[in-house]
Amino acid sequence: MTSLQHAQPSSAHTRIQVPAWAWALTLLAIFALYLVAQDNGVVLAQFGDTAHEFFHDARHSLGMPCH
Amino acid sequence: MTGTLHRPHTLQPPPFAPLLGRMVLAGLVAGALAGIYSLLVTERAIAPALDLEETRAAAERGAHDHGGALFSRGEQLVGGFLGTLLAGVVLAVVFAAVYALVRHRLPGHTDLARVCLLAGIGFGIFALLPALKIPANPPAVGDPATVGTRTAVYGAVLLCGIVSAMLVAALVSFLRSRAVSTAATATVAVGTLAVLLGLVLGLLPGSPDPIAADVPADVVWDFRVASLGQLAVLWTTLGLAGGWLVD
Repeated sequence: MTSLQHAQPSSAHTRIQVPAWAWALTLLAIFALYLVAQDNGVVLAQFGDTAHEFFHDARHSLGMPCH
Repeated sequence: MTGTLHRPHTLQPPPFAPLLGRMVLAGLVAGALAGIYSLLVTERAIAPALDLEETRAAAERGAHDHGGALFSRGEQLVGGFLGTLLAGVVLAVVFAAVYALVRHRLPGHTDLARVCLLAGIGFGIFALLPALKIPANPPAVGDPATVGTRTAVYGAVLLCGIVSAMLVAALVSFLRSRAVSTAATATVAVGTLAVLLGLVLGLLPGSPDPIAADVPADVVWDFRVASLGQLAVLWTTLGLAGGWLVD
């Protein structure tokens, strides 16, 4: 494994620049999580029910409120 | 990609893209392990609850028939695994962005220590706190009419957890900038966190659903313990594997 950051004190306390695309990706990730986790047909309409039932056990076991 | 990784003796912070890639890889491993745990442990705790639903459905045909119609149980097991895997990857993307934002403020000399610390905080906010306030319920528990309320409470608990962590972090930064001793800072931080969490647990409403009389207590208990264990596997693996890969 190459070293990403080996505790160099010089850069230990500098900020990591987060590019704009990363925020877009993060939002997309949160939205995907919402679709799998919570959408009970609100956004996905008919497919929402299908996703709801398919991911049913994951949602229960990850502790999210369900039906 | 690796060419940009070696930047010794400069003030350049580590680039974001490799961090994201490595965290996503860790998320894949964490999701897979949590998915295997789910198949081995959590599904066993779900099974008696599904039997209960079957018994109820047989008693009153045509009622909310859950799971039987759209997917077979076998398909739902696959869905449970894939959903957990997906959750691990998606969580890792968000984790990488948050880690990049707060890395320079986290204590610890290595990325392993910092990633593990952030994963620990994540487990506290996204697993332990909701488990105390609005614990997971197996199928057969839960009134479909109150799912909106329960989702709102769940979201509010997560939000309060995030805000509490940020307040305590800001407090610690402030005390450190005033050169307050480590012992005093730690004491004040723990005390403040205890009060904040006490307020969250005490003031927010709980789940509106009563647990039906035909659901044995150990079915609910076993499921909640299994669910918390699954989240522990997810976050522990994300922290250790992510920290190891990023370090």
